[in-house]
Amino acid sequence: MNYHKISQEIKDIAFRLLADKEVELVLGFGKEKFSGQSTPLITSSPEKAREMIFDENCAMMLANYLREHAGKKVAIIAKPCETRAIVAYLAEDLLVRDRVTIIGIQGCTGVKDNTACQECTVREPVLADYTVGEPLTDEVEAQDDLSLEEMSPQERLEYFREEFSRCIRCYACREACYACYCPVCFTDSNRPRWVEETLGINENFTFHLMRSLHMAGRCINCGACEVACPEGIDVRALAAKLYRVSRDLYSFEPGMDPEEKTLFATYDSEDPQPRFID
Amino acid sequence: MAKTFEPKIIAFLCNWCTYAAADLAGSSRIQYPHNVRVVRVPCSGRIDPFLLIKALNSGADGILVSGCHPGDCHYLNGNYYARRRLVMFQELLIFAGVEEERLNFTWCSAAEGKRFAEIVEDVVEQVKKVGPWKGFDGRGFQEKGGMVLHELS
Repeated sequence: MNYHKISQEIKDIAFRLLADKEVELVLGFGKEKFSGQSTPLITSSPEKAREMIFDENCAMMLANYLREHAGKKVAIIAKPCETRAIVAYLAEDLLVRDRVTIIGIQGCTGVKDNTACQECTVREPVLADYTVGEPLTDEVEAQDDLSLEEMSPQERLEYFREEFSRCIRCYACREACYACYCPVCFTDSNRPRWVEETLGINENFTFHLMRSLHMAGRCINCGACEVACPEGIDVRALAAKLYRVSRDLYSFEPGMDPEEKTLFATYDSEDPQPRFID
Repeated sequence: MAKTFEPKIIAFLCNWCTYAAADLAGSSRIQYPHNVRVVRVPCSGRIDPFLLIKALNSGADGILVSGCHPGDCHYLNGNYYARRRLVMFQELLIFAGVEEERLNFTWCSAAEGKRFAEIVEDVVEQVKKVGPWKGFDGRGFQEKGGMVLHELS
C-alpha cells in the first residue's frame, strides 16, 4: 500500500468536505505531537484536516466515535473493517445513512500487530461515498486460526485459565470494541449482580465469556480488543469462535448488508441444533 | 470419598410444556432421579444465558433447559429465538473447555411425561460420568449451611 499517496488523497477530500461545509466533523488519524505515533484526529477545521495521515499504525476503530457524534454530519476515514462496523450500526439503527460520509480505504493489507488481519476476507470497503487508494489486484489469502480448535477441551480450559488469570479487568477491550455500547455494562450492574468485580479466574472467565456472547452475530472479528489489551491476552479467541459458528451454522456475517436483521433479532424455523438432545 | 457422587442439575423448564411434563411424570408415578432442581420460567425465550452461567458459577454440576417443540411455542416464536441463543452459548462454553455433557438443551411437550423422566435419567447419567464441576478455576465449591460458597482466588 502506498501510504503517502493515500494520506494525500485523504487530506484533499477532508479539506474539501469541511471547506464546502458538507460535513461538520471529520474523523481521521493524525500524528501525535511528541511521540509521532498515529492517533485519532477529530476536527471541524479545514486547516487541521490537512494534517491527517494514514499508515499501518492506524489500528484503532474510529467507528467507535460515530455514536457520540450521531446527531452531526460526519465524515469518517474508514478501513474496510470499519465500513463493516458502520454497516452494522446502520443495521442496528444507531446511525442515519445520509449523515455519515464514508471515505473508504481500498486494498487494505492490514494494520501492524493485529492477528485478526490474517483472518480478514474483506479487503475493500463494503459501503463508501469516496474511495482512496488502489483496489487489490491479486487475492489475499485469508486463513482462520484454528490452532485452539485442535486442542482437547481440557487443554483449552487450561489455556484460557492461564490467559484470563492475567486479566486486570481494565475493560480496555470493552472500550475499544465498536459493538460494546450498552449504557450499563453487565459488569457494572448491581442488581442483579451477574459477575463480581474481584480479580478471580472465575470472575474473569465469566466476564470474557459473557462479553463474547453479547458480541455473537455482531463481532466483525476486527481484533481491536486484542490490540487494546495491555496484558496481551488472547481476548479475541472467544468472539472469533462465535464469528465462525454464526458464519458456518447460519451463514450470517455481520456488517455486510445494512438491511439485514442481526443474528438474534431473527430466526428460521429450520435452524440447526447440532448438540441438542433429540 | 465413600459417598457416591450425586450431581446437582439445575433445570430451566418452560411453564407451558416441560414443567407440565414434569407434573405429568409425577402424577403418573414415573420415577426419575432427584438430582434436578427445577426453575420454572414463562418461556424458553426468557432464559438469559446469564442465568445459566450463574448456575454453573454457583456450584451446579450441569444444566438442563427444556422448552416447547419448535413450532409449538405458547408465545408463537419464543423458542426459535431461544434456540439461536442456546446454540451459541453451548458452542462458546464447549470451546472454553466446559464438558458438553453439562450443557443439556432439549424440547419436551406437556404430554411427554415419560420422555421427561428419560431425559433426566440420561442427563444425570452423563453428568455422573464427567464428575463434579469444579468451576472455571478448577478449585471446586464449598458447601456450608445449605449455601454454596465460592473460594475467592
